[in-house]
Amino acid sequence: MNIFKALTKIPRQVIYVVIAIAVTIPLLKPIGLPIRIMPKSQRLFAAIDSLGPQSNPVLISIDFDPQSMPELYPMLVAVLRHCFARDIKVIIMTLWPQGPGLAEIALEQIPKEFNKEYGRDFAFLGYKFGVTAILLGMGDNIKSVFPVDYHGTPLDSIEITAHIRNYDDLSVVITLSAGDPGWRAWLLFAQARYNAKVGIGVTAVSAADVYPYVETGQAIGLLAGMKGASEYEILVHEHGYSEGKRTATQGMDAQSLGHLVIMVFIIIGNIGYFVIRRKK
Amino acid sequence: MNITPDPWIWLSALLTLAIFSFLFRDNILYQFAEHLFVGASAGYLIAITWHNQMVPNLFEPLFIQGNIVYIIPLLFGLCYFARFIPKIGYLVRLPIAFLIGWGSGAIIPALFQRDILKQTQGTLFTTEAFAKWDTGLWAVIMLVGVISVLIYFFFSQERKGIMKPAANLGIIFLMLGFGASFGYTVMSRISLLIGRLQFLLGPWLGIIE
Repeated sequence: MNIFKALTKIPRQVIYVVIAIAVTIPLLKPIGLPIRIMPKSQRLFAAIDSLGPQSNPVLISIDFDPQSMPELYPMLVAVLRHCFARDIKVIIMTLWPQGPGLAEIALEQIPKEFNKEYGRDFAFLGYKFGVTAILLGMGDNIKSVFPVDYHGTPLDSIEITAHIRNYDDLSVVITLSAGDPGWRAWLLFAQARYNAKVGIGVTAVSAADVYPYVETGQAIGLLAGMKGASEYEILVHEHGYSEGKRTATQGMDAQSLGHLVIMVFIIIGNIGYFVIRRKK
Repeated sequence: MNITPDPWIWLSALLTLAIFSFLFRDNILYQFAEHLFVGASAGYLIAITWHNQMVPNLFEPLFIQGNIVYIIPLLFGLCYFARFIPKIGYLVRLPIAFLIGWGSGAIIPALFQRDILKQTQGTLFTTEAFAKWDTGLWAVIMLVGVISVLIYFFFSQERKGIMKPAANLGIIFLMLGFGASFGYTVMSRISLLIGRLQFLLGPWLGIIE
């Protein structure tokens, strides 16, 4: 077979093996490639960093499932660490049925790092079905949508939720979103209708769709995929807020090498294609 | 290497490898893992819908607290099942009509605000945008991009004269957008692979922290 024809017909199994090797090596032996902080991530960090113990709570909505954990869970951990390090109160909820399990994992670990107490420093409202009714209802009265928290305690008897009524009583809403329901719904109802400040963390596949909303200021900042998560981890680390494990940052060398291999395969395939076409 | 004795991590790791085996070719291990995932997901969703939705929002208020008003949503919900009885099948239109009417009323104004008004506003030139030369340049590029892409999707006039190069410019902007989306998609998929490898090399094999 002609070498150029062979270049266009590399078996997919070979490509998978090469990518797997390229991704595995930097995980075993980190290279430490530099990571540049994007302005959109910086803006979200700055918005949270401007808050303090006297500020209204930050609401984090876990709108993803375990499939998107590599990209979004490190964001959740980094944002929680940032908030707790600055003594900002945090309320967590989820629009995805798989969300409560993920929240439990994070809340089992992160508050302990900062000696934070449930009810006084953070609360978990749990999962509710029905996006439109939930987000519109929260604009009117959060307690009508979530009368009790995840553990069945009335919100009126929880210290940080007792005086919360609607979006006006929240500093920032952050949605960590892997699709629908997620960032689109939060922008549609919480931001467009009730003028809430919405920060967004998404899987990389959705990032290009969010850009226009960040440019117009409808979203206060954006964390895009594992890169966005690692940027937030670095910002939290550089500001001395946490020395905790940085999962996304650990994966960025592998991410870069994986991209490099894919670019090489795309170039090889195109060279083969154009040479064959020219010969014809 | 410090391999974990935790049976749940072993199960998770073996299921991950079973799913990865599809990359070679379809096989019984992959099919087993796939069916297990679909079954477990469906069961989880049914359980969480029952305990999280049906019981606290309908059955408790209606049957335990005796709030009779809740009979209305119950009847509306039951109308969905009328589809299975041809004679009263038309009743399914009631909840559907309610949902469409309520949903449209709630969503359309907000959608207009989010996607039309604010986005148009964001495309306009402002003094803020031209405060620095680079932001001003981006504002001009964005406006040119929006107009040329809109011209590309304007089908009521033949593409000749100024319309032709403008539409061609629109194609360039569209291709740049598609390229950015594809690049981000690759990034997303590689991230998922990294996540699984971090799990296999970390909690399972104990090679990395």
